[in-house]
Amino acid sequence: MTDDALRLTGVCKAFDKPVITDLDLAIAPGQLYALLGPNGAGKTTTLRMVVGLTPPDRGRIAIYGIDIARDANAAKAITAWLPDEPMIYDKLSPAEYLAFVAGLWRIPPGEAAAEAERLLRWLELWDVRDARCEGFSRGMKQKVALAGALIHKPRLLILDEPLTGLDAAMARSVKDVLRAHADAGHTVIVTTHILEVAERLADRIGIIAGGKLHAEGTLAELRALAGEDEATLEDTFIRLTQPAREAA
Amino acid sequence: MRHTRPASFGWLLAHEMRVALRARQTKAATRWIGYAVIAVIVGFGLLTAKGLAGTPIPATPMALLIVLTATIALFSFMTTQAVLGSQRTLYEAGDLDLLFSAPIAPRTVLMAKLCGIAGTIVLTFAIFLLPFAVPVAALGHPGLFGVIPLLAAVAMVAACLGLAITLVLARIAGPRAARTVGQVAAALLGGAVFLTTQIVNAGEHRRQSSWQTLFERLRDDGFGASYAGQLPGRAAFGDPVAIVLLFGSALALFLVTGLIFRRLFERGVADAGQHLNRRTASTKAIARHFRAGLFASIMAKEVTLLRRDPALTFRILLRLIYLIPLMLIGFRSDHHLPLAPGLAFFSVTIAGQLVGSFAWLAVSAEDAPDLITVAPVDKAEIDRAKLGAAMAIAAPIALLVPIAIATISPIAALIAILFTAAGGAAAGMIELKLGKPAPRSNFNRQRPGSFVTRLLTLMVTIVLGAISGIAVYFVG
Repeated sequence: MTDDALRLTGVCKAFDKPVITDLDLAIAPGQLYALLGPNGAGKTTTLRMVVGLTPPDRGRIAIYGIDIARDANAAKAITAWLPDEPMIYDKLSPAEYLAFVAGLWRIPPGEAAAEAERLLRWLELWDVRDARCEGFSRGMKQKVALAGALIHKPRLLILDEPLTGLDAAMARSVKDVLRAHADAGHTVIVTTHILEVAERLADRIGIIAGGKLHAEGTLAELRALAGEDEATLEDTFIRLTQPAREAA
Repeated sequence: MRHTRPASFGWLLAHEMRVALRARQTKAATRWIGYAVIAVIVGFGLLTAKGLAGTPIPATPMALLIVLTATIALFSFMTTQAVLGSQRTLYEAGDLDLLFSAPIAPRTVLMAKLCGIAGTIVLTFAIFLLPFAVPVAALGHPGLFGVIPLLAAVAMVAACLGLAITLVLARIAGPRAARTVGQVAAALLGGAVFLTTQIVNAGEHRRQSSWQTLFERLRDDGFGASYAGQLPGRAAFGDPVAIVLLFGSALALFLVTGLIFRRLFERGVADAGQHLNRRTASTKAIARHFRAGLFASIMAKEVTLLRRDPALTFRILLRLIYLIPLMLIGFRSDHHLPLAPGLAFFSVTIAGQLVGSFAWLAVSAEDAPDLITVAPVDKAEIDRAKLGAAMAIAAPIALLVPIAIATISPIAALIAILFTAAGGAAAGMIELKLGKPAPRSNFNRQRPGSFVTRLLTLMVTIVLGAISGIAVYFVG
């Protein structure tokens, strides 16, 4: 039996008030999984717990069978995190940034340089590889950060609102990259408010609301759950999250 | 703001002051410490006022000269603040696009911004000055209320000069270089009185404070006794003519600056909004950037970031320049300070300052802390690598003094190197343990973080420096 790419069991997190309560979630390898939810549902908190930025109060998180509480570095070595605000250095160039990230993940220089060149060409950043990021548009910065996330070929790629602020062409290229990464057998988890993206791109969709996984499945399964076979994901999402929004 | 007409000059000015004050808001604990410090200053002010209540304070030539010296020093510091304030207004505030797109005359916007810069400066210095001046004036010396218009006049002139320096630099050097050159200029202006007087002192082989040197210069060359030289003092002592002359001139300069620099300001705003990038096509191989090992990667990143921020490097090195006159004083023949032990002491102190600063940059001023946290590396390992990088970056400068000691005694040099490394490591460790994270850009104003951290670093390096000096004295 293969391990789930990500498994959360009974995960809880509270700040001033409970944000995540007894969250159970399992994502199989090789999927592009969209995590949806209303604002404040706990999506980002969940993902930050997975990548080790926020410790859970309770529960277990495992990445490809590796318990992050027991062997955080082994889990981190196969994971990449791309938040909505790109984690880059304005004064570094894309090439220098990728070299630094490769150093953090201890990738041999020869291998890292070749992968960096491939990624920069693929993301159309090759011509600006030695320009400082400080003059880049938000979309270009996001692509630099995406290249950084991919340089160590993560088995689990987690992205929080990766398409925010991107123009149509850049959004398209980012979506292509995510799809290709999943098609290559890796797992991609993405949060987005653009439901059309989830509808067209995701293999499975999870809807989180009120700190719990409210519904999960393929688009067809979610439609069936909402009782509307021909509904759009937007209609389905609104119908499924209605109780949670009313409770809030 | 409720009492002013929306979009009027007063309304904009109130907005500027509100934003400036909120930018200074800190944690509750820090705020209470600030209140306590102010209360102590006010207490001292009241005590001083009570003590001086029955004593006449005549405006003697000596008193007028003291006020002139203080005014020049104050002007130097205020201009520094004004340059930095102008840079923040142009490049960081981010509200100019909104203001210029609103139906408000550009000149009104510029004047409000200029007033905001001057007002912020006045507030900074008023906290320390007025708790003394106002009670003394209120308790029997009403003429000293003249300190208030004097302070405002100096702040207005400094604001005009600061804005002019920033805009002219932006015009000559372009927006990218203007930021760097402006920060360097601000740092130099802040230390201008200190550096100039110390150079004068060194040339004349004298040992005295900067302020004493400035005072003597003003007295000896006669400027202090001239009417222009006496104006600040006369204004501070309540001479209405001097107040009108000084405050009126400052106000006129303020208005003229608004007129003259309006177009340059608008152009500066437009330039500041540009993407500051040198997009030259690269033909070099990408492999040159990739290095084996965590330390090499962190070292490369830190060196590159420092190299790309010359203003920051300059500020750090300026601290060392401030130490040089102290060294010269220490080694003058009338002090009989042994050369090698004295140098060993300074070597450790310099290393502590340097490594402390570089460690702050590497450890606390991390622009992408989440990236480091999600990397598969233990925090302790990252910290060790960053400390190593800070020490390696500081080494070329920190080793200069031990090399100088080696010409006197190789054993003494060896001892100095050991203690210099220990001092640097100690400063770095203190930063690792106690350093407060802050954006790297904050360092361009001053090194942020805990006062305790800086004090502890200074104390530890002084103790290690003293031990080093004693060891060199006995062994070397």
